[in-house]
Amino acid sequence: MRSALATLALTTALTMPGLAEARPVTLTTTLSDYGGDGAYLALYVTDAEGAYVGSLWMAGGKSKYYDHLSAWHRATGGDLAQVDGITGASVGPGRTLEISVDLADALFDAGYTLHIDAAVEDMRDSPNEVAVPLTQGGAGTAVAGRRYVASFRYDM
Amino acid sequence: MKTLAVLALLAAIPAGAAVADDHGRNHDDDCLVPMADWQPREAVERLAAANGWAVRRIKVDDGCYEIVGTDADGRGIEAKVDPATLAVIEIEHEDDDEDDDHRGRDDRGAGRAPAAPGPAAPPRNQLLGTGAPPQARVN
Repeated sequence: MRSALATLALTTALTMPGLAEARPVTLTTTLSDYGGDGAYLALYVTDAEGAYVGSLWMAGGKSKYYDHLSAWHRATGGDLAQVDGITGASVGPGRTLEISVDLADALFDAGYTLHIDAAVEDMRDSPNEVAVPLTQGGAGTAVAGRRYVASFRYDM
Repeated sequence: MKTLAVLALLAAIPAGAAVADDHGRNHDDDCLVPMADWQPREAVERLAAANGWAVRRIKVDDGCYEIVGTDADGRGIEAKVDPATLAVIEIEHEDDDEDDDHRGRDDRGAGRAPAAPGPAAPPRNQLLGTGAPPQARVN
């Protein structure tokens, strides 16, 4: 039921942007010193059923490598329109990617999960490197990724 | 007996083996050439010389030879070459896009300029409250 309400809120946000409640959120991803090339990172959101909702950022500009971000790629079919206008440079070892974004309020405490897929050339792909629920209570808490992400957190 | 069967099954699952994980990858660029048919590195060097390329390194990627170097105009290139026929399958120029390419260059995510969203509007994907594009920075 909650999910249906959230969906309704989001749909409303699309059709009547003025009513969309949103908050500025900062997503901070710090990579470990994994000793390789710049990492490609896909940040995206799924709903309570695990269905893909949308992408927040793509770090890494060569779309031919996007299939290494395999969970993202499977969810989107590699549709580049999903990251149109929200693509930037890859992120090297030890560096921090800071993304400032206005996120719809309806995304919080409604079963949505933020994922990060990571891939480094000639190193192992890491789909779902990070997967964190989007909640009020989770803001400001750093989590470690599986392989390349030393810490990720969202602040608002 | 059952324990043995379970253990055998577990052993058969390649734990962490890269081979099993394909995740729907695009293999159009791969080479599938038996080792016996591979020409030696020297042949690849000769190919590069014939094309006027300066070779920084020759590596193997996705089953193909890959020449990393600069072309006759001094542009950085990566040329993917069939290891048996020495046909050039693909050439990527390092200035093809604003972004990273491969090693040797200053791409340890070198704090590049703030990622401009570009001319395209951000996707209408229900996530962005006001529709303003996300801003990103690498520190």
